[in-house]
Amino acid sequence: MNKVIAGKLDIKGFLFKYGFLVIMAGVVIFFSLSAPHFLSFTNFNSLIHAAAPLLVIAAGMAFIVFTGKLDISLGSIAYLSTCIGAVLMKNHGFPPSVSFVVVLLFGALLGAVNGFIVVFLKVNPLITTLGTLTAFRGIGLILTQSYEIRMPEIVRAFGTSRIGGVFMDVWLALFLLIVLNFIHRHTAFGKQVMALGNGEDVCRRLGIRVNLVMFTTFILAGFLSSIGGIMSMAQIGESTTFLGKGMEFTAVAAIVLGGISLFGGEGRILPGVLIGVLTLELIRNGLNHLGANPYLYEFVNGGIIFIAMSADALKARLRGQVILVADEDT
Amino acid sequence: MKKLVGVLMLILIVSTGVVFAGGQQEQKDDGKFVVGVSWDEKSIPLIQAWEDYMIVEAEANGPGNGLDFEFIINVADLDPTRQAANIEDLIQQDVDVILARAKDGAAIGSSIRAAHDAGIPFIVFDRKSLTEEQGDAYVGGDGYSQGRSTAEALASMLKDKGITGQCIEVMGDLKDNNAVLRSQAVNEVAKETGAFEIVTQVPTEWDPQKFLSGITNALQAYPEADCIYLASDFAWSAVQAALETHGRYKKVGEEGHIIMASCDLFPDALVAMEGGYLDISTTWDAYLHAKALVEVLIAIGTGADLDYGEDGYLVPGRLVLPETLGAMDNIWSRDYADWTNSK
Repeated sequence: MNKVIAGKLDIKGFLFKYGFLVIMAGVVIFFSLSAPHFLSFTNFNSLIHAAAPLLVIAAGMAFIVFTGKLDISLGSIAYLSTCIGAVLMKNHGFPPSVSFVVVLLFGALLGAVNGFIVVFLKVNPLITTLGTLTAFRGIGLILTQSYEIRMPEIVRAFGTSRIGGVFMDVWLALFLLIVLNFIHRHTAFGKQVMALGNGEDVCRRLGIRVNLVMFTTFILAGFLSSIGGIMSMAQIGESTTFLGKGMEFTAVAAIVLGGISLFGGEGRILPGVLIGVLTLELIRNGLNHLGANPYLYEFVNGGIIFIAMSADALKARLRGQVILVADEDT
Repeated sequence: MKKLVGVLMLILIVSTGVVFAGGQQEQKDDGKFVVGVSWDEKSIPLIQAWEDYMIVEAEANGPGNGLDFEFIINVADLDPTRQAANIEDLIQQDVDVILARAKDGAAIGSSIRAAHDAGIPFIVFDRKSLTEEQGDAYVGGDGYSQGRSTAEALASMLKDKGITGQCIEVMGDLKDNNAVLRSQAVNEVAKETGAFEIVTQVPTEWDPQKFLSGITNALQAYPEADCIYLASDFAWSAVQAALETHGRYKKVGEEGHIIMASCDLFPDALVAMEGGYLDISTTWDAYLHAKALVEVLIAIGTGADLDYGEDGYLVPGRLVLPETLGAMDNIWSRDYADWTNSK
């Protein structure tokens, strides 16, 4: 009897651990068989290039979600911080390098604003960031008068140039993911972030500086959002009002697809964020290759997000049972 | 004591009502013709251009028709619920007419009904109501004829070259009536003329990032494509980046040039046409739209008959080719900045 349970557990446990990899593999196989130009280096290069800004922003979102919180203003932080850089370049003649440093500082500052309200004023993170989602974008619209601001050629070049055949922003995104994964897995800060997601009260009793750790995750997410914003702006070659719009929700969907639980305390930057973001981009790319009905895109995206969220909720519910059976088995 | 507080509250409420009612009446007695404008957003310069052109046209033509225009303007920041509340605010201010560019053509119907219940005429601008409530007038560009104009010029160009085009269609937001009409037009022309085939349709939801990734993917999937039809060229910078990724951002006459045909002729696209990268466009004429809008406002204000077709007051775009661009007047994407500076 125990063996039967153990057998069931193996499949369930495998799906629990690697379900998101199975989904991505399924997507790749399906589109490779259906679209002749899908499975090629050039296409995957373009695909990761398109996904690069989201990879960085989703990694920032992941750190907040690890603590059991949520920040739905990251797209607006990406927008506002890059607006400031664009205005500095266009209206005040700042060189791109200086402007981008200001963008990064502002990204961190806007993250700190969210963190301050959530951590020190004890306002619900969803309410807080729902407010700043609108407010930050509004400030950006005022700053730019809602006009698109075209980037200097050197910025455009960053968005389209390659090193070793791979787009420069892809290298940057992968480098950041590796660094963030290291921070997450191998530093005291990373471990404290995960601990927070498993229970703040316990962390307090253990002497972890809960407020400081949480505040830092908001700053980190804001900082990474501004990097994602710069990448997006460089790719398109201008600052537009669409920059970052809805990106926070795509980021949430991506991290859930990558096996990071919205309930906090579970998941990894690598491969989780990478797989989640690539799965979403693979689907969009594959539908383009298939020449799919344009009305299908939203349905497919919505369906995948729904399935991912449901799977996350199911996992959270069954986790206890699996651990229990695993204990019996051992 | 309770009674006293109650009486004071009653006096306060009644007097507040009188003050507000008196204020509204005073506004009407001023002889102003108050137009309540509900924009869905202001995130593209075209909307500011519409607004500026409209106000100047109204100031120029209102007095001659006995109308002293005043505009109350609000913006919904792309939120249909906010837009409904904004329109309700305009109704409460008892404006003489409401003009709205709907964020959601399916949601605007209830606002039209509310305005009509209050006896206020309603003009739907640029995006049609997709409900039974159509408003008193529709004013806007003719998305279908615009798309058709560009597509027919594309077909003609391809026939002259003696080739059957393999075209990528870059679509707009499929909840936007104009985007749907432009798509319908190009597909009809493709079938009627046989001059080109739509090899794939790329949906963008009007998001430049999706223009970039969509065109990049489409060129990867269909490397044989030799023409691109853009439902709008407002995201030209993203289009340029996608073409550069494939080494196909080439001028007319250069090897590898993709024939580019667009709708709207936004400022970046205008520069691209002047530089030799954009072959065909049909304008979305902000100036002519505003002019038509003021004509309808004057007709409503003076009680004149609204004389236009059953589809509304539709303003067609003008076909622009690199060789005709220089000689054309009132191209807003070229002339609006100078016009605002000279005001």
